[in-house]
Amino acid sequence: MSYWYSVSAPQDNIAVSTRIRLARNINGIPFPSKMSPEQFKTVNEAVRKAILESSTPFAKTLKYIAMENIPEIERFAMVERHIISHRFASNCQNRAIIISEDESICIMLGEEDHIRVQVLLAGLQFEKAYDIADHIDSLLCGGLDLAFDERIGFLTECPTNLGTGLRSSVMLHLPLIESHGEMSGLADSISKIGLTIRGMYGEGTKALASLYQVSNQITLGISEKNAIDNLKIIASQLIQKEQGYREQLNRIRLEDRCMRSLGVLKNARILTSSEMMSRLSDIKLGLSLGLLECRALPIKLIVEGQPYMLMRKYGEMSPDERDIERANMIRNLL
Amino acid sequence: MLCEKCGKNSATTHIRSVINGKVTEKHLCGYCAANEGYSDIKGNNLSQMLSSMFGDTLSAASNIQLTRCSCCGSTFSDIAESGKCGCPECYTTFYDQLLPYFKRVHGSTKHIGKVPNRAPNTVKQSKDTVEELRSLLSHLVREEKYEQAAVVRDKIKKLEGDAQ
Repeated sequence: MSYWYSVSAPQDNIAVSTRIRLARNINGIPFPSKMSPEQFKTVNEAVRKAILESSTPFAKTLKYIAMENIPEIERFAMVERHIISHRFASNCQNRAIIISEDESICIMLGEEDHIRVQVLLAGLQFEKAYDIADHIDSLLCGGLDLAFDERIGFLTECPTNLGTGLRSSVMLHLPLIESHGEMSGLADSISKIGLTIRGMYGEGTKALASLYQVSNQITLGISEKNAIDNLKIIASQLIQKEQGYREQLNRIRLEDRCMRSLGVLKNARILTSSEMMSRLSDIKLGLSLGLLECRALPIKLIVEGQPYMLMRKYGEMSPDERDIERANMIRNLL
Repeated sequence: MLCEKCGKNSATTHIRSVINGKVTEKHLCGYCAANEGYSDIKGNNLSQMLSSMFGDTLSAASNIQLTRCSCCGSTFSDIAESGKCGCPECYTTFYDQLLPYFKRVHGSTKHIGKVPNRAPNTVKQSKDTVEELRSLLSHLVREEKYEQAAVVRDKIKKLEGDAQ
């Protein structure tokens, strides 16, 4: 199956993935933090009907699953695959998802809002991702009494999502902008235009594997198209900047760094998650510059080497056992 | 600067509060700050940050505190404390109190963008199309294509008239 992290895609040597998220709620029902079990059932059933019983052919590709039927390891492995949020995986009672086979579409029922539609695609594919999300949204609008106010748009639990309820984001691999020490300055200037940048894994401005997520913050007073266009412009500027640094670099030094990482990954017997990520970040960089060859996709290994993803495949393990299993897995795949 | 509470460690947490226009400042070390309940400030406690933005609205509007949302029972102070509404109806009940906050968060209080189908079609069309036509109009004016611009201007007028 082609999941977002296991396929090649447009411009994916820097832009790893594109995500569109829409927040929607139903009139007359409190937001999930105040909902009764009966109200959860009502929302889940209403959304299931609106989407799965619609006549569009694409409804056949989606499946409804009660979160309580998904084992804990798989729930957190879904978080590591960026399909659901951590909070949704931890607090899953009465919750459900509607998900496509390739996991590019996942609708969370009962996260912060009644309905969170997420479309996640590999590479830079804003138009396609938004079109899919918008299509699902039309099914919701047609079949449900969505909470909407002419003045302030779609109503959401947190007023920060009010208006379009749209959060669009792109995950970028920016090792050289990062090593030039420019991330915090960029974060400041990006925040001034209503966007935000944060590490995809890890906290603060230091990101593991140099993977950063840029997303829009403002949802009221800006159309979906303009919000996405702004993000696209900034993403392409960041991509150009990163590309520029890559071209200026001393090739032999960079080649040395990438080959050392490849050596470690091919030979290590114990590999922590953070070491794996920084080494694979080097491999990804080396691949994009044609400095090395590698038969596995670094992003696929990063995702599959996460703790719950490993346990999903090889069974429950202690952190030490995972480090050994991770080293084995990566050695075999490289 | 030393912590003003213990006087031993250097002050790493600086808290400036403005309550009813009166400014007070505290300079504490990490340990004393945590003891005084300020440990979450540097974390990502978004809802606390949001609720702090409601602060002045809350103190200014004491009578609104008695009103409860008819759907979920939330009061305005519940919303201000959590930074979150209880249900969609809260937005109607506390619209006037929430409005300045929308402005601070988004820089705007007016929705531009998708309108669900069930709303009158004229509104949906006009919101989407007028925005596009306006940008086309300014483009045509810049290019000095005034004849085409006049046609677009008339279209906008017509759409706006229909919507009203």
